[in-house]
Amino acid sequence: MAEMLEVSGLTKRFGGLVAVNNVSFSVREKEILSVIGPNGAGKSTLFKLISSFLKPTTGEVRLKGERISGLAPHIAARRGVVRTFQETTIFRNMSVRDNVIIAHHLRSKASLFGFFLGTGAAKTDEAAFGQSADEILTLLGLSSLSNETARNLPHGHLRALGIAIGLATNPSILLLDEPFAGMNHDETMRMVEMVRRLRERGLTILLVEHDMPAVMKISDRLVVLNFGQKIAEGTPSEIQADEKVIEAYLGSEDEAIGL
Amino acid sequence: MEQVIANGLYLGAQYALIALGLTLIFALMNVLNFAHGQMYVLGGFITYTIYGQLGLPFVVALLASGVTLAVIGALMEKFLFRTVIRRSHREESTMLLAAATAFFFDAVILLLFGEKQRGVPKIVKGVFNDAGIIMPYDRLVVGALAIIFIAAFVLYMQYSRVGRAMRALAQDRVAAQLMGVRVDRYSMIGFAMGAMLAGVVGGLLVTITGVNSGIGGPISIKAFLMVMIGGAGVVGGAIAGGFILGMMESVGLTVLREYGDVTYLVIFAALMVFLSVRPNGLMGKPWG
Amino acid sequence: MTLNRNTRIAAVVAFLAIVFVAVPAAISSSGRFDLYYTLTSVALLSIASAGVWLTFYIGRINIGQGAYALMGGYVSAILVMNHGWSFWLTLPVAGLFCAAASVLIGLPILRLRGVYFAMVTLVLTEVARLLALALPITNGAKGIVSIPLPGALSVFGVTLIPDFATLQNSRLAFYLLAVTVMVVCFAVMYRLVNSRIGKLCQSLQQNEELASSIGVNIAYLRVIAYAVSSFFGGVSGAIFAAISQSIYPSSFTVTDSVNFMLNCFLGGLGYVFGPMLGTLVLYFGWDLLFQTGQFQLLIYSGLMIVLMLVLPNGLLSLAEMTRKKG
Repeated sequence: MAEMLEVSGLTKRFGGLVAVNNVSFSVREKEILSVIGPNGAGKSTLFKLISSFLKPTTGEVRLKGERISGLAPHIAARRGVVRTFQETTIFRNMSVRDNVIIAHHLRSKASLFGFFLGTGAAKTDEAAFGQSADEILTLLGLSSLSNETARNLPHGHLRALGIAIGLATNPSILLLDEPFAGMNHDETMRMVEMVRRLRERGLTILLVEHDMPAVMKISDRLVVLNFGQKIAEGTPSEIQADEKVIEAYLGSEDEAIGL
Repeated sequence: MEQVIANGLYLGAQYALIALGLTLIFALMNVLNFAHGQMYVLGGFITYTIYGQLGLPFVVALLASGVTLAVIGALMEKFLFRTVIRRSHREESTMLLAAATAFFFDAVILLLFGEKQRGVPKIVKGVFNDAGIIMPYDRLVVGALAIIFIAAFVLYMQYSRVGRAMRALAQDRVAAQLMGVRVDRYSMIGFAMGAMLAGVVGGLLVTITGVNSGIGGPISIKAFLMVMIGGAGVVGGAIAGGFILGMMESVGLTVLREYGDVTYLVIFAALMVFLSVRPNGLMGKPWG
Repeated sequence: MTLNRNTRIAAVVAFLAIVFVAVPAAISSSGRFDLYYTLTSVALLSIASAGVWLTFYIGRINIGQGAYALMGGYVSAILVMNHGWSFWLTLPVAGLFCAAASVLIGLPILRLRGVYFAMVTLVLTEVARLLALALPITNGAKGIVSIPLPGALSVFGVTLIPDFATLQNSRLAFYLLAVTVMVVCFAVMYRLVNSRIGKLCQSLQQNEELASSIGVNIAYLRVIAYAVSSFFGGVSGAIFAAISQSIYPSSFTVTDSVNFMLNCFLGGLGYVFGPMLGTLVLYFGWDLLFQTGQFQLLIYSGLMIVLMLVLPNGLLSLAEMTRKKG
């Protein structure tokens, strides 16, 4: 399988603190790869580095061979690396459908001025976005809520909306930031289903996660971080048998590896 | 040179105290209190009335300034800001409410105390003159008092129960609420304390520079400057910002004396450049 | 607001009929020619306020519009006085000058958010005033006075606008000018807000991180919005200078900047026509309270506070509330 995303020698220092230390791995096309690790392992820093919300101190991230690290986030998004957010980051005061429509921004062919004048291209775009938004909402089980104001959605649906927004940008690789955080068992199972469906549509997915059972169920491969360094990489069964991983997780009190 | 530094320190202590009040209100409620300068003026006029007109001791007058403003601050929080925060769709509303309150105070001050510049008798006579520094004793006293108040405020925020609750609130409103901090109550106390600080500085400075009804707005702008320099919502930032502005004014007025208002132009320009490099001031929390 | 197309067209026609026909007719029959000046001021201030509204719309609290109004006034005045330009040419130039300046100023300061942006723009208003005092070209505190009235505007020998100095009633002419510019500005705003650009601006206001994660060039969009906003400020200032035939460093101060903001807020930050209504109400309210003498400011600000408590989402939210009930 071809490699979609390549992370090589990525390092991020904040002052004296090394949050991410020389991490390398790659994500293959149509793969679900999860990055896991105990609290403070550098997961979310790594996530921000890959999505270009932070600039690496050294090392680089390549998408299909092209360097994307160090670009502005909106340019990385344009190249096809799109992230979702951990918390309820949505456009709160817009309707659910408008949230998804606006996220089609990257696909628009008309210019801003074209939209101002209401040119033909702009109208075609608007119609196409509306249709595609409806499709995405149906896929993620949100179609019945499409006219609801986003801030009124229940928690589980909010996260689905976050993914819908990411999906609307038509990414090459979607980065999910702790998609299962704070969910109960049923919600988690539904989210697992949803992520699988995305992959069936041909999407490559990288996720950063805490919830071990869900991760084990969903991932093709895992990368384990501890203290900013990669300590293991492999399939779920390999990771579950890895001594270094067990040690790392036993070292922190409130985590279970989900064996 | 020593003279310039001494002036800067004296000014800086007053400014820091003003900025502390503003930053406290901001930290707790995310409200930029446009009426802060007017509160300062009100404090000045109360001390003027009690100490200057009625002839009661300065301490009584200063106390009255502080207490009156604390009450006003508490009432403002309870009846104005709390309502608007609850009912408005937009966070900005509180800032506009504060602006309207500033106009209102301006009107009240003008009606009660008139347009004239007012001063009071010196609280201490004599001039300190040694080591190349010439400074009237009253300035020394007022400067020392301001520093004592700053220290008291910092200690109070650090060690008292109320102070700890307020710090928790400033850090994370929701989390504080979950931990059982009574948000409404401490918002009110915080607002009252912020207003009180403004009133106290007004009362202190009326003995040196006097007071007039028109200086509320300019004082607010200065307070904003200090808070921006240091970083909004941070105690250390307010103190640093106050002393930095005090120093800049002291130096600027000496160096650029003949150019008058250019001092402020230079300070403003420097500030805008500084903020574009450090958007959160010296030590502010991001995106205040 | 979801009005259907016909109602909307009817509302626009009615509005145009009122401002261009009914108001002048009423004024000339009642002889209250002073109202022209009041209404002209309302129109101009609402243009500047519209600019502030636009910055609110991208989630920035702009207390710097006074700076651009002042800048626009000076640019027009200096070009007319020192270089003999026609006022009609200086009007767009003043707007463009302000827009260009706002791009330079905006690039660094638009990175600031919340109170930081508010405070910096507030300081900007002060900087503009101090600059006007200090620069040689602006003639310091004495300002620029005796600016000639706008001359004739003719294109290919056809006189489109007559020389204001030859008119019997230049007040009417200024009224028509201000109202025309206002209508154009609000039409542009309405179109902006109701096109995709409006949605993009809203996305900035609601969450900049998310907006940039879906590929919106937030820095570019902010600067564009701020430039349009400042253009409005400059145009409004330039017409002001032409009407009063003078401009001083104190023509637009921090108080004006704050008032622009209050106009938007009072009309309603969620409504395009909020700034127009807000300006009208506040300006007329202030004028009406003139009779209360020394209590004018007290009553005015008191009423404003009450209004904020009762209608924290602006006057236009009233319409929405009644519609929901009905």
